[in-house]
Amino acid sequence: MNFRPLSSLYSFRLPVALTYMLQSSEYQAKDYLRWLARTRDFSRVQHRRHLERTSKARLIEAFLYLGMGLELLIGIALIIYGIITPGASWSIEIGAAVAIAYPFVWAYLVVIPLELGRLLFVEPNQARAVSVAEDIFAKHSGTIIAVAGSYGKTSMKELLKTVLGSRKVVAATSANHNVAIEHAKLAGRLSGKEDILIIEYGEGAPGDVAAFAQNTHPDMAVITGLAPAHLNKYPSLEAAARDIMSLSGYLHDKGVFVNGDSEALKPYIKPAHTLYGHSGVGEWKVSQVKVSLQGTSFKLSNDKQELNLSSKLLGRHQIGPLSLSAILGVKFGLKVPDIESAIANTEPYEHRMQPYELDGAWIIDDTYNGNIDGIRAGTELLGELPAKRKIYVTPGLVDQGKETKAVHLQAGKLIAAAKPDIVVLMKNSATGSISEGLKEGGFKGELKLIDDPLDFYNHLDRLVAKGDLVLMQNDWTDNYA
Amino acid sequence: MPRKLGILRFNMSKLTVAVIFGSRSTEHDISIVTAIASVIKPLELSGKYNVVPVYIDKQGKWYSDPLLSDINLYSSGNIEAFLSKLKPLAIRMDGKLELVLKRKKVITIDVAFPATHGTHGEDGELMGLLEMAGVAYVGCPMPAAALAMDKALAKTLAAAEGIPTSKFEWFYARDFAADQEAVLSKLADLKYPLFVKPVHLGSSIAISRVENSKALVQAIEVAAHYDDKVLVEEAVNNLIEVTVPIIGNHHPRAALVEQPLLKNSNLFDFETKYLSGGKKGKGGKSGAQGYSKLPADLPPKLYKQAEETALKVYKTLGCAGTARVDLLIDSQTNQVYFNEVNPLPGSLYAHNWRQAGVSNVGLVEELVDLALEREQESKKLTTAFSSNYLKQY
Repeated sequence: MNFRPLSSLYSFRLPVALTYMLQSSEYQAKDYLRWLARTRDFSRVQHRRHLERTSKARLIEAFLYLGMGLELLIGIALIIYGIITPGASWSIEIGAAVAIAYPFVWAYLVVIPLELGRLLFVEPNQARAVSVAEDIFAKHSGTIIAVAGSYGKTSMKELLKTVLGSRKVVAATSANHNVAIEHAKLAGRLSGKEDILIIEYGEGAPGDVAAFAQNTHPDMAVITGLAPAHLNKYPSLEAAARDIMSLSGYLHDKGVFVNGDSEALKPYIKPAHTLYGHSGVGEWKVSQVKVSLQGTSFKLSNDKQELNLSSKLLGRHQIGPLSLSAILGVKFGLKVPDIESAIANTEPYEHRMQPYELDGAWIIDDTYNGNIDGIRAGTELLGELPAKRKIYVTPGLVDQGKETKAVHLQAGKLIAAAKPDIVVLMKNSATGSISEGLKEGGFKGELKLIDDPLDFYNHLDRLVAKGDLVLMQNDWTDNYA
Repeated sequence: MPRKLGILRFNMSKLTVAVIFGSRSTEHDISIVTAIASVIKPLELSGKYNVVPVYIDKQGKWYSDPLLSDINLYSSGNIEAFLSKLKPLAIRMDGKLELVLKRKKVITIDVAFPATHGTHGEDGELMGLLEMAGVAYVGCPMPAAALAMDKALAKTLAAAEGIPTSKFEWFYARDFAADQEAVLSKLADLKYPLFVKPVHLGSSIAISRVENSKALVQAIEVAAHYDDKVLVEEAVNNLIEVTVPIIGNHHPRAALVEQPLLKNSNLFDFETKYLSGGKKGKGGKSGAQGYSKLPADLPPKLYKQAEETALKVYKTLGCAGTARVDLLIDSQTNQVYFNEVNPLPGSLYAHNWRQAGVSNVGLVEELVDLALEREQESKKLTTAFSSNYLKQY
């Protein structure tokens, strides 16, 4: 009999675990409660990371310690009262119930002040900031480019920033911060002299993208792709598509660049859209493609001009975004050598197709990837690059909603098509479907199932040798484990 | 503070591999690192085995607990307190090797993986025990391990098989104590500089390089402090020292020829190997211990010659599983000399194998397979013989 789950519930460190769960869920009550409902052993929730003691976290932790301590004391007091008072045996039963129930009561009760705080303070403040920002964006003289899609937004935004920013004054949302309050923060930083603003749109709930467009007044849009992702927040892929494509509606389909390589986007493409992808952008055509671990190079040309582009970004799927960045550079009046030089400066972003050498082996870290199109791009790259031994590593994808089984089955087939020698799967709910897909795809190599992903990643050097190529895609943080 | 004891979780469909390390040896601590970093963790990562750490303490008591595979237990100095909560295990040889733990819990071992260095382990003693138990075990068989760990015997045998060695003499420490002059006269034909070595110790412990007879006596006294048998050999001029890790039973293959960097020291000693992190060997490509040139910077023909000599030594001594052959090269004459064999190289020389295209996980998996292959072969041999001998009594 394993008593650890029960003992973890009454552990002195339970408030720390609960605070960590809230923090890892970004203080979103729904996500936290879902995690809480499926957690059996609270001693293991802090596995990949640990609680970062911010002031907010400290406050919640103190609230939980005080609340739980108080309830426990009340329970004990009632028990003692029942023992010393004749005829008050009811007090013992109630006291025991109160004392036993404290972990359950406070694990749920903790979301109430959080939600109240959100409703009474955070959201009104944010609404005010967004309203002020809306006015700033409306009056700004620069060109506003919105970047939306299920994936590839941050990379696209950074590419545009690098290329256009080489000769223009460009401001953009930072990192992968892509919600309304982050847009408002960008507005607050603007001087008014910027030539171009690049704003990333996230998808938090249906209607978000449309609202972002109303607030930020874009002049142009880039739609980077559509794939099952964030389907814990959208009822279906169609709902996500409708939300993303509302950006095109806002612009009356003019000045909208759509990733033509994204299979799922194809039904939503309109004649007025300009497509970009591995074959080029509009009338600009791609040729002479070379892909290696050092990067991707190709020629982009139309009847009048020719650009020789070389980037450290890996894989054919980068050709579309690189081409679009270059062509927008041309549209904004940048000279060809400046564009070529800016593209040459583009490097892989952290955990996004980021290569590094480990004792003579090459590792491609694509753990930030979270969608099936990313798996397609990664496995194509794995299949294309030469190596003595090819190893593919994944735990599978999260937030795939109803598509979960189908997506993982497809992932298995895509992995098999890359013909890796070894496939390493982190054991979880997706393992069965990926394994099935591997089998259907005719995978002939060795399949390794790993119980502890952290242990595996920490000892990757023991699994590789010179000449190996390892592609690591996707990652499940503690809140998905 | 001592930790709680661990829980053994076994999957019955997997092979159970006992990794045996520690032991009564001057290389006890090195063995712990070899076992935990280069054997236990890769075996666990392979996912194919139930891995059982078996630790032999400095007094020779055997213990097993899952937490014994945590290096922090040793580096923190908590090992003694932890062991005090454990009961030493008992070994049962019931036609197979069984470990009897507390509360009579029995673990049947399919494969033993010795990760001991030096005396009471690497020298064949442990292999003898495993042979008696009839269990498959990784690495050199008992006779090869015993031979390899006796530098004098190994050199004598190699020389008899036509493998060049530097000129050497050996003697018992007790003979030196009894009649120093007689031993020194036996050494009189050797030309300085000389190396003085305890015959059975590894990791370059108590090895000295001497230039004159006064230093020679001191060096012998140091060596005799650690061993009952002492080897004195001529130094090789224009020296390039190389080492060749080898794996295999009947068809052994070499990893990369590796060149330890000596620079100012003239001796590839314990500190250079394990502690200085390459301080004495700046400029070389980093190995596991950060002191080697990998592969060795040799002309192709000499590189090949070194590889072939190492493989010949490996076969001559009857090595199997894995071993590391150390060679000395005179860079002027291009003569390759056999120096010594290490039947269980520290950290399995995983850094070298990794550069040769074999991962640490792949290495331990192959070694387990080789152990099983050898066990299958030995089972085919007839070990019983019916005779009427006893009837005469």
